[in-house]
Amino acid sequence: MQFTKTIKALAVASAMVLATAAQAEWAPKGPLTIQIGFGAGGSTDTIGRIIAQTMKEQTGWNVIAENKPGGGGVAMFTGIANRPANGTVIGLGVSMPILINLVNRPEKLKFNLDSFDYLGTASRAQLALIARTDAPFDDVPGLVEHAKSNDAPISSDAKPQELAMRFVMAQAGVDFQFLATKGGAENTKLILGGQAIAGFEAGEHLPFLESGEIKMIASMNNTRHNYAPDTPTLQEQGFDIYVDPYFFFATTAGTPDDAKAALTAALAAALEADDVKSVVANTLKTPIINLGPEGTKAMLVDGVGNVATLFAK
Amino acid sequence: MPELSIMLAGFGDALTPINLFFVVCGVALGQFVGAVPGIGPVMAMAIAIPFTFGLDPLAGIGFLVGVNKGGLVGGAIPAVLLNTPGTPDAAATALDGYPLAKQGKPLKATKMALYSSVTGDTFSDIVLITISAPLAVLALRMGPVEVFGLMLLAFAVIAGLMGQSMLKGVIAIALGLLAAMVGTDPEHGTPRLFFDQYELYDGLPLPAVAIGMLAISELLRRLSETKPNVSAAIRLPKNQPKSDAAVSWAEFWACRYTILRGSVIGTILGALPGIGSTAAAFMSYASARSANKDPKSFGKGNLHGIAASESANSSVMGANMIPLLTLGIPGSVGAALIISAFMIHGIQPGPFLFENQGRLIYGLFGAMLIANFSNLMLGQFGLRFWVKVVSAPESFIFSSALLMCFVGVYLASGGLFGIGIMLAFAVLGYVMTSLGIPIVVFIIAFFLGPRLEISLSQTLSLLNGKPEKLLDYPIGLVLMVLAVITAVLLSRRRDKG
Repeated sequence: MQFTKTIKALAVASAMVLATAAQAEWAPKGPLTIQIGFGAGGSTDTIGRIIAQTMKEQTGWNVIAENKPGGGGVAMFTGIANRPANGTVIGLGVSMPILINLVNRPEKLKFNLDSFDYLGTASRAQLALIARTDAPFDDVPGLVEHAKSNDAPISSDAKPQELAMRFVMAQAGVDFQFLATKGGAENTKLILGGQAIAGFEAGEHLPFLESGEIKMIASMNNTRHNYAPDTPTLQEQGFDIYVDPYFFFATTAGTPDDAKAALTAALAAALEADDVKSVVANTLKTPIINLGPEGTKAMLVDGVGNVATLFAK
Repeated sequence: MPELSIMLAGFGDALTPINLFFVVCGVALGQFVGAVPGIGPVMAMAIAIPFTFGLDPLAGIGFLVGVNKGGLVGGAIPAVLLNTPGTPDAAATALDGYPLAKQGKPLKATKMALYSSVTGDTFSDIVLITISAPLAVLALRMGPVEVFGLMLLAFAVIAGLMGQSMLKGVIAIALGLLAAMVGTDPEHGTPRLFFDQYELYDGLPLPAVAIGMLAISELLRRLSETKPNVSAAIRLPKNQPKSDAAVSWAEFWACRYTILRGSVIGTILGALPGIGSTAAAFMSYASARSANKDPKSFGKGNLHGIAASESANSSVMGANMIPLLTLGIPGSVGAALIISAFMIHGIQPGPFLFENQGRLIYGLFGAMLIANFSNLMLGQFGLRFWVKVVSAPESFIFSSALLMCFVGVYLASGGLFGIGIMLAFAVLGYVMTSLGIPIVVFIIAFFLGPRLEISLSQTLSLLNGKPEKLLDYPIGLVLMVLAVITAVLLSRRRDKG
């Protein structure tokens, strides 16, 4: 079955090669590198690699995936901002860490939002606030009540989520304790083990939701999650803050229009491929969301405002 | 427990020719990349993952597991033959493996490593297959306070490896912890010691530091000592008696308690996510040394030293699969890569995995056992091959090893920046060795430092300013007390010895 799937993908791919070849004459001089702003093995890496592979099949270009970890993508985008704008490199990063650095230490960065031409997005991470099913609360106001008379350790693997909960803390006048962790899986472990009363996960908690060991307290994004349409967002629960990380693609600003158009089209075509759709659906539990060049830029510009609120700047 | 028919069907799937083919290929690739200093099985797995998408899930995951397991055996080879371990867990194997190889017994040393590695690996696989569910529940009970206690105990045990000079050992630990502090502080997200180099924001790249310190500094030292006349990197005596080229059953059996102890340590630490094979290898080595009648013979080519380290670092692998399969929590980078392979096939490790995918999981267990067997078989040939390779002229061997280290670090640590870090740490390693400061202790502190810090910060958050709450964590308290006792006992022994 996998095999027929591959054949089908190849058939679609060859059709797309013809289509894109007809559309655009432009092709990168030499290999096209997709730089992934994170190390090997995470969800960003998996998505970057499958897109590189699909793009290579569809366009016939020599597309190479390369890990450039450091600063949640800052190291990689610093490199891209300072390269010749000839369309031979695409960066794949996550919006939140870039926005946080832009808000908090703009003077130290060797780039700003205008340093790039944006190509599109793959999807966004659906961040959930979760707790063990036997926790004595079902929503954020309940968690706040609980924290008034108890210790309330919350496990968090990234600063933005923690800051959103600090915003809740300040507004409600209660104290949470934050357990800094190295990832969503560790958050789940601490919640299941009873060491944390609540924590954050981006999709890997779904089997536990289904098994009834874990419940969802809130969506941390600015919309509800596709798998949990009944769980309200933090904003709907009365706290005007959100965290909405997107996986986005960008290249150096000033890239010639034909190159930009060809790269945008190639990326969009790759994101339409069945293999990419299913890998994104399987790793992130979300459908493909491609905001396109303008949409990506608008998402980042709006994001700066929200992150400034998170960091109270 | 799923039905017997599902288990049998799963094991049957593992034996189909296509799956056998991929598992054996995985093991062969893993042994190869493990044995070539520099690239390593983790990088090989990361590169292979997108390609497994086109395969059947069992063949794809079986292949990756094969690479991982092959790497466990392969990793010992450069450590023993050239004293250039590519990963810190193999550094423990080099402590006794390399002296033995220098005595003209490279085959004996690598074979002991192979047998102990496969034994430890099989031990933890059997634990995984039989009692993973209750062990996973126990692992959940080990919260931050308990992990912090365990880290303290690990540091106390490993302090026994510091060598004769307490001062130099402490310097090595302090430098290792200092290097571990580079990057973003785990508690507040404040960047530290990164000198505006965003590549350092997530900390010093582990492969670059490990390969620079352990492999490159040794290669530099050896290259600088190369004499003008052509000589082999390892000299094999002519007409070597069989007892020097093989491990007899009696020799293996004499190490049974060492191997068992190593396997148990590795399995326990492997079942707890995030502690890893480095701590396991060195804790096992240190405890084998204190349990031995002749601790002074360690570091001079004692088979027990090889057995202790290899059984422990290999048994971590099977045990890593316990939290992975039952809770979806990866215990190491290798395990995280296996999770991504599951996920791209739409299979979510965690509850229901055994119910919904019972056949696949038992197929995977079958593949793991097959991989162990192929490790043993391929290893027999592979070891001879590698020993032949290193009997080539040393100028050739060292320069090829150097090249492979550069390539591996370039791939794994994000390009030239990683190479720069590698070279800086190679020089540091060279200087430290010349001053008699143990680099192995530095590396252990560097690798365990982040986990120590994060578990300390989590513990402090949980205590929330009330030290008396520590009494709510009896296991954690016991581990901390044990750590203190161990440290005191070890320092007394040092005074006497």
